[in-house]
Amino acid sequence: MGRSYIVEDDVEEYLCKLCSTQSGTVTGLFIGQCSIQRDFIVMAARTPQKEESADDGQLVDKEWLSEHARQVSRMLPGGLSVLGVFIISDSDAKDSLTTLRQLVFAVENLISSEQLWSPADDDVTDRVTLHVNPKTRKTVCRTFDVTDPKTVAKPADWKYQSRVCSNWATVLCWLDVDLLVPIPEKITSTKTVEKCLMEGLKSWTHQIESGVFLIDGKKLPEDSELKGGQKKSTRQTYTAQLLVSPDMQKSSDVVQRCGGSLSVRGVIHSRAFLHSNKPKAKLAERLLKMDVVSTVATRVQMLLEETLTSEESSRDVKQTEQLCLPRRVFCPVKVTGPLCVCDYQFSDEGLTEITDRLKEMLDTDAAEDDLDTTQEMSAELIQSEATEEATAETVEASEPRRDIYIGVAVGIAVALLATAASALYFSDA
Amino acid sequence: MVLVESNSVTIVRVRGPLELRCLLDSTDDLVLMAISRAFQSLRSQVKSQSCVFAVCGSPVIIWPNTGVYEEITPDTPCEDVFQWIQTDEQEPGGRRSAKKKSKRAISVNVLNLSLMMEVTRPGPLSAPVLSKTVQKSNFLSATLPIDCVVRTSCNNTIREACEQLLEALTQQLFEMEKVTLQHMKGTTLLVPEPVHFLLPEPKGLVTVVFPAGVPDRELETQRRELHQQFDLPDDRPYFRRANAFHFPDEPYKDGYLRNPHAVLTHPNLDNGKVYLVQGIYSYHHYMQDRADDNGWGCAYRSLQTICSWYQQQGYVERSVPSHKEIQQALVDVGDKQASFVGSRQWIGSIEVQAVLNHLLGITSKIMFVSQGLELASKGRELANHFLTEGTPVMIGGGVLAHTILGVAWSETTGQIRYLILDPHYTGAEDLQTITDKGWCGWKGPDFWDQTAYYNLCLPQRPRFI
Repeated sequence: MGRSYIVEDDVEEYLCKLCSTQSGTVTGLFIGQCSIQRDFIVMAARTPQKEESADDGQLVDKEWLSEHARQVSRMLPGGLSVLGVFIISDSDAKDSLTTLRQLVFAVENLISSEQLWSPADDDVTDRVTLHVNPKTRKTVCRTFDVTDPKTVAKPADWKYQSRVCSNWATVLCWLDVDLLVPIPEKITSTKTVEKCLMEGLKSWTHQIESGVFLIDGKKLPEDSELKGGQKKSTRQTYTAQLLVSPDMQKSSDVVQRCGGSLSVRGVIHSRAFLHSNKPKAKLAERLLKMDVVSTVATRVQMLLEETLTSEESSRDVKQTEQLCLPRRVFCPVKVTGPLCVCDYQFSDEGLTEITDRLKEMLDTDAAEDDLDTTQEMSAELIQSEATEEATAETVEASEPRRDIYIGVAVGIAVALLATAASALYFSDA
Repeated sequence: MVLVESNSVTIVRVRGPLELRCLLDSTDDLVLMAISRAFQSLRSQVKSQSCVFAVCGSPVIIWPNTGVYEEITPDTPCEDVFQWIQTDEQEPGGRRSAKKKSKRAISVNVLNLSLMMEVTRPGPLSAPVLSKTVQKSNFLSATLPIDCVVRTSCNNTIREACEQLLEALTQQLFEMEKVTLQHMKGTTLLVPEPVHFLLPEPKGLVTVVFPAGVPDRELETQRRELHQQFDLPDDRPYFRRANAFHFPDEPYKDGYLRNPHAVLTHPNLDNGKVYLVQGIYSYHHYMQDRADDNGWGCAYRSLQTICSWYQQQGYVERSVPSHKEIQQALVDVGDKQASFVGSRQWIGSIEVQAVLNHLLGITSKIMFVSQGLELASKGRELANHFLTEGTPVMIGGGVLAHTILGVAWSETTGQIRYLILDPHYTGAEDLQTITDKGWCGWKGPDFWDQTAYYNLCLPQRPRFI
């Protein structure tokens, strides 16, 4: 007996629509939540079309699809993840298996390379693949164990159901991030900066992972169920708290030479969804902590991918560069039900860019009004006391820009290339 | 559940690491300022609503600055908090008592809290900013081992204890800042380390911050100041690290029993007074350390008990010598032939005196008693020894050696009892057996062989701090 997949009715509708409107091979991703017993699929999203792809879509671009999966997984709050891939093609289901197998592995490898948290023993490692014949609408569902390189396709049960999206509990929190890491004396490239930031994030992740998790101020035994919470109509929402304590470090050199420091400071909103009437405290804790870590890591990575300048100043003059991390914006998966996906909005972006991206990545038609922008406020640049006078003229510089240089002696305003965010966001992978 | 006896003292202790991180500017003045600023920010952290005390092993969580108490009320007496602590051997909330402690044990209970920081906030707030500062300088990253204690009496509430702890926390951070800045050489920095000491009443438990890794011998100036500050005599150590207070909930790792006599009831003599060993010793006896010395090692063990006293009072840093080391010392001073090392030969009071002098640099007085019955008239001298020196006394006579830990003596009637620690015990480190069966106990003058001669080695206390 293989795994069973409980799939939202809308997904069937979506696949049918693709079958009838698209010609040639279509691929895409499944999004949902897995649990020990069964997995829930709440969404499917087709792989965006590559502009330059001249061939009539017969070939499946593995890298393109996994890059899509990477982008999509950044847009999923805690509890939702990319669970597998689908392919709609005329070819025989058996012939597609090799392709599907390669795809799930490629997706898994890329996504897990960005994850900072350590895997748990009871993590589900099966990923689903679905082959759909556009003419006969016949579907073949198989799973692969992505931790086993010798895995063979196992049959699985694929079942459509209505209201799969409605019965979820939400756990949320706002969390203060306060990270300070040194930059090495010799900065060789932007990679150096990225590396130390990631190192800092790793030990911060460890702190979060070992933090004490509270629901309504109470520490719950691991196996207990979440109780109480605020019921908004049928929704269950729980506010979580997290207590941390730094790791005891035993290092003899408490002072090290450095070329400066990097800090990340501000508050993030984190959210996780649990499919169940009686969500377990342990799972809520893990999913929310994973979301806390990934929403911070994702934003830092996005910022690094786009902007951090590599030019190094040889002067001894203190130079501070501040960059706003994008804020998190949510968009409901369905009109009813608590499930949301999210996106990150840079300060120079409008909401249209978000709705465009939701269309491109998740193939969902969201209006600007659907977006929930109230959970986080845009970051504000903090001016340190030492730099106040010197910077007056630099702050008002050219418009769409994500960074500001503040120098003690010289204020240099460097207007970065105001690149079209959407293009960069996806196409330069 | 941990059983707590009524009318006991509760020590409330909060521990937890705090991270001190900052970029140090290049010039000296700015470096000091940067460190002070980092400490200031830690102080405001412990005063903020994020500061949390979590009672170890329990669901009890306290936000001391906002007055939020989970599971308990702020007016809960400190000792009632123990009932929330779950021990391993029982069901949470169960009523079965943990292993019953000896009734006579001194009951000091320690309520352990861990210092944590809440990182969640009521939102929504501003998204994060990344800032990059480019400047050739130094980066300071240290973990401060915060450790604060307060002693409460039975009816103190947990709120009172928490308020005192908050004050102690701020105070400790000030102390740490002071010590850090004092011991800074260039960009070398020593992590400040809090140590607790139990001073004679009414001062009680005090906490001092020392720079980690600096040996006691280099900290005499600091100790002198402390002796002055706390009005302590200048003739004995109070603030060496060996004097650090030992929390009753932390077992000694070496396995030896400490001060087994502490659970005994004093004998009732007409107009009698009790004169006891001062400070802490460990009980050394036959068959310990995987050494079978049954029948010959009693004086060695008594000597070890004496050595353990000097070590734990902070007079010497060397560990308690083994039989072999004791024998080697006697060869080294020319008292014995080389073949003595590894043998099973007895030693007596004179040898104990020689070894103390050679290995520990301690001088001892020898008291001769030609007949055991004379010991009954040595009350004044022994009482005086325990008053002024307070060290354990080794007594050897005939084939037996014992340790005298004190006397109860009546000046008017001359009646006397001896507090004896018997090194001939071969059993396990079980306080109940040792005290019930008299391996550590009060003995009358008939304990001594009335006709045998005895030599007493009375080790002297050096005068330094």
